[in-house]
Amino acid sequence: MKVKRVLVLFLAILTILSLTACKSKETDTSADQSGNSNNTAETSSDGEKIVLRMAWWGSQARHDKTIEVIEMYEKQHSNIDIEYEFYDSDGYFTKLNTLVASDKVWDMFQLGGNFPVYLSKIVPLDDYIASGVIDTSNTTDTFLKTTQYEGKQIGISNGVNTYGVAYDPAMFKEAGVAEPDQNWTWDDYAKACNTIHEKLKIYGSSKFDDFVAGCSCGISQSDINLNFYALTNDGLGFDDYSLLTDYIQMRADLTESGAYPDPGAISEIKDIEGDYLVTGEAAMTWVASNQFIALSQAAGRELKLATIPRKTSDGPAGAAIQSSQMFCVSKDCEYPEEAAEFLNFFWTDEEANKILAGERGMSIFSNVTEVQVPDLSSEEVAANDFVNLVGSFEVGEINPVSPEPYQAIEDYYDLIIQKVIYGEFTAEDGAKGFYEFAKSQFE
Amino acid sequence: MKGNVKSAARKFIYRESTVGYVFALPFIIGFLGFTLIPIVSSLYYSFTDYNLIQKESWIGANNYMRLLHDERFWKSLKVTLRYVLLSVPSKLCFALFVAMILTRTTKLTGFYRSLFYVPSLIGGSIAVALVWKELFSRKGLINQILGIVDIKAVSWFGDQKMALIPLILMTVWQFGSSMIIFAAGLKQIPGTYYEAAKIDGANRFRAFLHITLPGLSPVILYNLIMQTISAFMSFTQAFVITQGGPNDATNFYALYVYDNAFEYYDMGYASAMSWVMLAIMSLITLVIFKSSKHWVFSEAGN
Repeated sequence: MKVKRVLVLFLAILTILSLTACKSKETDTSADQSGNSNNTAETSSDGEKIVLRMAWWGSQARHDKTIEVIEMYEKQHSNIDIEYEFYDSDGYFTKLNTLVASDKVWDMFQLGGNFPVYLSKIVPLDDYIASGVIDTSNTTDTFLKTTQYEGKQIGISNGVNTYGVAYDPAMFKEAGVAEPDQNWTWDDYAKACNTIHEKLKIYGSSKFDDFVAGCSCGISQSDINLNFYALTNDGLGFDDYSLLTDYIQMRADLTESGAYPDPGAISEIKDIEGDYLVTGEAAMTWVASNQFIALSQAAGRELKLATIPRKTSDGPAGAAIQSSQMFCVSKDCEYPEEAAEFLNFFWTDEEANKILAGERGMSIFSNVTEVQVPDLSSEEVAANDFVNLVGSFEVGEINPVSPEPYQAIEDYYDLIIQKVIYGEFTAEDGAKGFYEFAKSQFE
Repeated sequence: MKGNVKSAARKFIYRESTVGYVFALPFIIGFLGFTLIPIVSSLYYSFTDYNLIQKESWIGANNYMRLLHDERFWKSLKVTLRYVLLSVPSKLCFALFVAMILTRTTKLTGFYRSLFYVPSLIGGSIAVALVWKELFSRKGLINQILGIVDIKAVSWFGDQKMALIPLILMTVWQFGSSMIIFAAGLKQIPGTYYEAAKIDGANRFRAFLHITLPGLSPVILYNLIMQTISAFMSFTQAFVITQGGPNDATNFYALYVYDNAFEYYDMGYASAMSWVMLAIMSLITLVIFKSSKHWVFSEAGN
């Protein structure tokens, strides 16, 4: 009987302890942090470490390189301890949103074109640029503008990139198709796809980012002054849905003829290694310029980069250089100045960027690109040349932002293309239905 | 006075019910924290425009009204119903079939039974779904076998009429837990019934129809309800294998809820969808229960 009593008490205490232990851990750290923030100045002299949290999304190569740079910085600054987390992009944004909801956003976090949603969580960097913590003397206003919003420097670009079409010149030659030039059109693309499919019995083209190709670029290709999303980010930037029809029709036709993978085959592509251009089952694929290096390495044969096809050969290119992503400092950060200092190192330090090697895109700092030159592989040179080529194209005012609810709109576009492929709609009705859906998302 | 308090406290601690609550505490906390509170808060959020990032505001029944006009919602409901109607009966038939084979007593029955149960243990996992995806891929095993008998390769996940089939097969393959329950039920039917039937000259089929099925009907009811509920909540297969495609042909209800919640961050809308799902499932369970009066045989009654 006594044993039983003792046991009950013991278990009860254990339960209570384990519960409170979970809780007290959290309150402990937060007490710690607020304690630290009161004497930021002293912490470094105390030898107490400043902890900065950082997160990004990307591929394994990116994780390895970024971690190497973090360790390099920690070695030089013994008082800084950087805790990092990395995800694939879906997981990253799910995590970020839960952190936003609980006011615990990482001190330094990566953001792309959907940054306006997070504005309330971002510390603008203008003060740190003015005070010289972030050194922007080696870059230009044009580059800085790619990550400005309503006159504030939201972050600084980790590198710029642009989209293009990677292709296998040997396959083009074998099929007797001329290699694309920088004025090729969607008609040329479709013809090339069909010819290669007929001659070589493979897909003409692997998976394209249909939304960027057909909508973001497609609208600007129709009229240099138009954007898919309005510059004010509160609606669509065009009002003629028929501008979308041609691309949808072309995509459905190519799928029908077997020159483009059907939706089932598309869903089998998991990563760059599985891309049909890499596996030799297609002659072309859609690629971001900074991914061209990984794509070429995975393919193990010579690939070239072509510009995105145009609607008409003398019409606008519709493509522009953009910030591939940036790092921002969060409002939840206890040490924004230290974070800015680290990011300055990340963006502008020559040794650090030899390691990063432009994997996030071509650096916007001239001192960095200069020191990178001797180490560049031929693919990296090709990618940089390509960015410079696209940068020389005439563009209108480009909207770099993907306003909410961009994800629902992009998914719906893919769905509409599938409905046209399966004959549920004509391309014209599909374009109309999609336009109305996209518009209704802003109401 | 002090002694009184002390002994009262003592009494409280050693009371049978207190001990019970203490031991049940981990469950109670888990139930409150991970089930009840989320359920109640999702009811609240279903009347708001909560999106995780901004403070929510009350929008009344707007989310529920939106559902009425959402074609993707109706399609996902249709797809899920078709999936439930096809997968649950096939799974139960198959489970019963295997259970009947395995109730014959041989030395290895226990071994076989656990062997057949294994797919259900690992069934809900991502890894199995990935294997299934490979099996039915363009150059996967199934298409290669079809190639041997000279049938043209099928684009399983590129054809909206075909895409549901691999998902149903995967569900049927995970028949283990229903099978174990069926096997237990079969053992409850007294052998004397079968002997009597044999003497009366009934063949195996008639014995199955008039003894096994009625005798097993309470177990069938239980399995039917459990499997129907879990089929309505199917998520992993579609999420991993097809992502709902092609053309939403496998866009299960639970997957569409997930997309709205964690892809479009439309938490209020997703919460509303969950509540509609709860209502539909309760209704169907109720109908099954009501109908059971007519087909479930109870030894105690009549």
